[in-house]
Amino acid sequence: MKIIIYISTLVFLFASCSKDFLDRKPLGQLTADTFFQTAEQAEQSVNAIYANFRSWEFCGLPYLGATDIISDDADKGSSENDGLFLRQIDEFNFDPTNEVFSATWRGHYNTIARANQSIVNIPNVDMDAEYRNRLEGEARFLRAFCYFRMVQWFGELPIIDRQLKEEEYFTQTRNSVQEVYDFIERDLLFSIKHLPLKSKYASNDLGRATRGAAQGILAKLYLLQNKNIEALTLCEDVINSVQYDLIPQYNLIFTQANENGIESIFEIGAVALQAAVVGSGATPFNMVQGVRGNPNLGWGFNRPSDDLVATYEPGDPRRQATIIYVGEVLPDGVTIVQDNPEVFNERFNQKAWVPSHAGLQDNGPGNIRLLRYADVLLLAAEAANETTQSTKALKYLNMVRARARGTNTFILKDITTTDQSLLRQAIRKERRVELGMEQHRWFDLHRWGIQAEVMEKLGKPFVSNKHELMPLPQTEIDLADGFLIQNKGY
Amino acid sequence: MNLKSLFLTILLFTSFFSIAQHAIEGRVTADDSNEPLIGATIVEAGTSNGTITDIDGGFSLTVGSDQASIVVTYVGYEEQTILINGLTNLDVILIENSTLLDQIVVVGYGVQKKSDLTGAVSSLKGEEIARIPTPNFAQAIQGKIAGVYASPPSGKPGESAVIRIRGTGTLNNSNPLYVIDGMITYDADFLNPQDIESVEVLKDASASAIYGSRGANGVIIITTKSGSAKKDGEITFSAFSGQQEAARFISLLDASEFARAYNQFKNKNFYSNPDSLGVGTDWQREVLTTAQMYNAQLGISGGSSSMTYSLSGNYFKQEGILKNTDYARATLRLNTQFKVNNWLTIGNNAAYSNSKSHNGPNVVTSAYRMPSVLSVRDTLGNFTDPTFFGLAVGNPAADQFYKSNNYSKGNSLLGNLFGEISFLKHFKFRSNYGYDINSADSKYFEPIFKVSSSQLNNNDRLSVSKGGNNNWIWEQSLTYLNSWGKHNVTGLVGYTAEERTSESLGASRENFPGTADELLYLSSGNDTTQMNFGGASAEALNSYLFRTNYSYDSKYLVTVSMRIDQSSRFTEANRTGYFPSIGLGWNLGSENFFQSIKQLDKLKVRASYGILGNQAISNRYPTSAIVNGGLYAVLGTGESINQGATILSLSNPDLKWESSKQTDIGVEISLFGGKFTSEIDWYRRNTYDIIADVPIPDYVGSQNDPFVNTASVINKGWDITLGWRESGKITYSFGANISPISNEVTKLAQGKTEIFSSFINGEPATRTVVGLPIGAFYGYQTDGLFQSAEEIAAGPSIGNEKPGDLKFVDTNLDDIIDGEDRVYLGSPIPTLTYGFNASVEYKGIDVIVDFLGVTGNKVFNEKETFRFGVYNWEKHVADAWTPENTNTEEPRVTNGGNNYRVSDHFIEDGSFFRLRNISLGYTVPAKLISRIKVKDLRFYISGTNLWTKQTFSGYTPEFPNAGSSFSVGFDRGNYPIAKSIQFGLNTKF
Repeated sequence: MKIIIYISTLVFLFASCSKDFLDRKPLGQLTADTFFQTAEQAEQSVNAIYANFRSWEFCGLPYLGATDIISDDADKGSSENDGLFLRQIDEFNFDPTNEVFSATWRGHYNTIARANQSIVNIPNVDMDAEYRNRLEGEARFLRAFCYFRMVQWFGELPIIDRQLKEEEYFTQTRNSVQEVYDFIERDLLFSIKHLPLKSKYASNDLGRATRGAAQGILAKLYLLQNKNIEALTLCEDVINSVQYDLIPQYNLIFTQANENGIESIFEIGAVALQAAVVGSGATPFNMVQGVRGNPNLGWGFNRPSDDLVATYEPGDPRRQATIIYVGEVLPDGVTIVQDNPEVFNERFNQKAWVPSHAGLQDNGPGNIRLLRYADVLLLAAEAANETTQSTKALKYLNMVRARARGTNTFILKDITTTDQSLLRQAIRKERRVELGMEQHRWFDLHRWGIQAEVMEKLGKPFVSNKHELMPLPQTEIDLADGFLIQNKGY
Repeated sequence: MNLKSLFLTILLFTSFFSIAQHAIEGRVTADDSNEPLIGATIVEAGTSNGTITDIDGGFSLTVGSDQASIVVTYVGYEEQTILINGLTNLDVILIENSTLLDQIVVVGYGVQKKSDLTGAVSSLKGEEIARIPTPNFAQAIQGKIAGVYASPPSGKPGESAVIRIRGTGTLNNSNPLYVIDGMITYDADFLNPQDIESVEVLKDASASAIYGSRGANGVIIITTKSGSAKKDGEITFSAFSGQQEAARFISLLDASEFARAYNQFKNKNFYSNPDSLGVGTDWQREVLTTAQMYNAQLGISGGSSSMTYSLSGNYFKQEGILKNTDYARATLRLNTQFKVNNWLTIGNNAAYSNSKSHNGPNVVTSAYRMPSVLSVRDTLGNFTDPTFFGLAVGNPAADQFYKSNNYSKGNSLLGNLFGEISFLKHFKFRSNYGYDINSADSKYFEPIFKVSSSQLNNNDRLSVSKGGNNNWIWEQSLTYLNSWGKHNVTGLVGYTAEERTSESLGASRENFPGTADELLYLSSGNDTTQMNFGGASAEALNSYLFRTNYSYDSKYLVTVSMRIDQSSRFTEANRTGYFPSIGLGWNLGSENFFQSIKQLDKLKVRASYGILGNQAISNRYPTSAIVNGGLYAVLGTGESINQGATILSLSNPDLKWESSKQTDIGVEISLFGGKFTSEIDWYRRNTYDIIADVPIPDYVGSQNDPFVNTASVINKGWDITLGWRESGKITYSFGANISPISNEVTKLAQGKTEIFSSFINGEPATRTVVGLPIGAFYGYQTDGLFQSAEEIAAGPSIGNEKPGDLKFVDTNLDDIIDGEDRVYLGSPIPTLTYGFNASVEYKGIDVIVDFLGVTGNKVFNEKETFRFGVYNWEKHVADAWTPENTNTEEPRVTNGGNNYRVSDHFIEDGSFFRLRNISLGYTVPAKLISRIKVKDLRFYISGTNLWTKQTFSGYTPEFPNAGSSFSVGFDRGNYPIAKSIQFGLNTKF
């Protein structure tokens, strides 16, 4: 009998502690229950959004495919057989299974999900209100930035503004383009209200989203909607904010010394730490566009096109500052680029060039420049011209030309025409050469509605009313079967 | 239900008071073999007081007086009645009365006579395993048991094989549960096959429901050898050594064929004279090699009436057929058992193993991709840079050269300690503590090297890591065993608690002062480059067990069992699962109306039904949303990294047990004095609330697919075992096991009608829908090739086709080829698996052959679809369509595009039939060796995987690491399997 008592006692002891025994939390990891409790965690959640802007989807081949290569600025580059999916992009014979679409879609929605975490949870964190609003403003800016790119690429989009519930995973439908615009506008207006000016950030916060950045992106959104007056107002707010200026020498804009410099309105910081921590601060941006051959700096994708080369006015120093040619001395002042027989007539994007750095090629330290002052000046010129304020338009346009010309008065003379149409052509051309190989061209063509005209002129098999928008990834159409409708023509 | 109080009530109810008069103990052994008889019944004559013998044949019983008699019975042996006459220790030797020896099988938390079972249990004895040398457990049981399918290990030494019992029951992990001497584990790779005494496979609910939430995929119980109380101890020694090589090579284009194909692809004469290039480099043979294998085993066992012991030591080494890979394992096992007195027995089983492996890089895929026109090294002796073709792969020979300083070591201690108390005549209390403690260390050094711009290392780096698992189980069980008249009752109640923890730690440094072995420790690296990482996880399970077996006259059998599991993997609301079962059996052959049929030895029918569970998903915390760190923002004038963290992945707090309703109906028959035996089972497993990480759209923004309870699947099939064995001057046997199976999805949750998975080139290659098997292949059907531009223009076409491209079938006849035309292209799950074996023995010479096969499954040759750059092509491309070569099935040479869409072009027949083993042995006559004190001596030569009939073009249509059930049957560049020849000897002193 005694033994029964012993056994019973033993069993009882075990059973009575079973709840503690069975309640297991992940070890060494925070969970949703324990996160978003402190200001520090709120800030970390926002930092995590910036981090995804350094991902493969945001600065690797999918991104360059969907910006420069698809446009008239660049060809695929690299050796003939490398990255054939990009050749399909370049030649407009892609289909919805091309990884450019799935990667850009996935990358941007992943970033949007990170932003949603911050936007939904930060308002509930017990912390200083101004700091809290700033963090939410940063997150909203970054979310708006993603949706803005996406709506220009894909058109109608499902607006995801929170973590979806299980029953919602497969049933999202596309919101109209106007709804997406309005959603972006709301985010950006919040950001403009709550984000500080660039100079108001502490030096160790340099690189965070600013009021100027939000105004610049909203200006682009307004231009896209033909809200030219509002766009001009925003641009002039940026211009008059005394936060920005043009760097006197065009070829120094993309140096590391001028990262987050006076001309920078928004860029994503990157740094090459020791090789052991590769990837933690770096991007693949420099590698995928790096000189292929001798010196061997990368994969050599994104070749500046013949058409881009031909667009520069004679003597425009921006051509040399944008393109690396064979035989050219690299900006390091020493290395000469040799011909590589496996790459046909190679050229490389000089704006993605970086000097030697720690780690391997994929440890790219170059910041990803997303909005700079010259861009806003040209947006201002565009908005002014569209609202028939040619004096103003010429003023901003010629500021950009003057900087490009430097001390050489024989080139890039001031534009003087006040004819709206001619001036429009001049501004568009100026945007192309000023911002060449900076991944803006496809979006500019989209805004101006001239993709078909431009691409057809180059002899590309561009199909009107189809290729203006990229197809939704086939995987996404298959998974959300019946809810997501593919773009026309695909 | 309040489990605690229920349990206590049961304990109290089952206890009652009694007075002990005379205690006896002893052992029951067989006269012919001297082996212990397990499960023999000892009953005090004229009473219902009795017991059965334990696994060593031992028993203890308290009888009414010291002059009582006991009756000892055991099926297949003559009954004996023994007068105790004051003795306290009795050794009973039973005499066999027929050729029909009833088997004792190990079941969960106990043993049972085979004839008393109501469940489907297959057994394999240690001798059957030991006859043929095998490096690991999975190979030892391959093709031997109906309904059990073991894929071969990948050919990579030391790697796990996949075992499936009655097919794929779930969308996630379908691995069975292993119970090794009572310790629950998820694999048995570390086990030395020669230590195995018996293997029992529990296939149906009646047998495996006692393992509740983890029994759904079947249970494999492995019992290791223990000593026996014979007069003298026994010493066994066995050894084998063998040589292995790849069983098969993939046919790829040789250099001149590649050059011709490349010219066609480029549409110009890039190679002006392809013929001059000859065969070029055979990259598969550059990276593969012949490899040795050795094994030596020494065992000592014995015992006395109060203790038994079994000690064994084993060393096994296997080189890999891929260069720079090997695996060595040393195992030391000690199993002991002590009978302290007539009511207490204690014992332990413990195995320590130490393993070392050399982990050269897996370059199988890059060898497959390397064009044969490239040489291993250039004329200067440097490794060839393959980037010329835009290859994203490195030179595999260079990888083997530079990346092979990679070693790992493992230590594992697995075993159990138990104590058993017999009391109140009918009760036995057993407390068992099982432990599985293992650790693994790895060390990898990569020197500075450069082959090409994409195959280089600029900073030499040493990475080390240490990881370990600490798992324990504590089981308390109380068994009640009684028989009176023709009634036999066994009752079991138990409680078990179990915890599993893992922890890992790793670090690295760069810039070492040299590459000498003695310098390759972290301390000599540059400390400014140091990095470290670590992680940990834990889980727990609480369980309550109940089981009753009742039999009347050994004819009518009932088993009822229930397990209640509580798992830490689920939230409190969904934590508890109830897993009941019932089994019924009828020994028809014992009925009078069958007694007149002399030829019939045994005929039994049985049926069972029960519910089992599965929680074997890879994530220990599927209900918690984890915050990921290390998502740095680079900010500030100094470009410093700022910690970033957020919730990246989805969790599912509503997740609950996956369950499976299993029905089994079986017939067991034995004829002609045991010469013919057969067991036939029909079963149906309905698995529902299946937990799976179903792919979700990317717009959700999650970086993982969360686990959900998603679907129902029915597996139906037959397990048929047939055997014929005749002993005499010539002893021969023939056996067959045949398992037809069908797998069908019956329901998808979340309102879904289809689940897409296994995306290849942007399209899903499997689609899971109601009415078809899980993960069925899905894509375009092809119908030959387009021969001309006119034919393409006449359509329908998918767009951008050129003459010589695949023609996709417009299955929905809408004159458009698009995603809507994709159809079911076959199932990766075999509809039939089977095995045959035969043996013959004459005058000491024995021959054994062993075949296995599967049929009805398809294989997707995924490795052929992935072309990021110009890789070598498979041989069939030599016959590619050209304007001159139009009478062909093979499309024109391309490197992407329409011909690489997911279509039946890449789907092949996965059937095969393999001679798994053939061996020839010679047993030296006893009289020749008895003078040198040797009892038994056998030499053999044995060949494994020597012959296979398959049409699949890859190494093998079996894929060991299937991962998700949504993507089974994809050849992604798997390791080749090895064929081998071994010589060995077994001896006994």
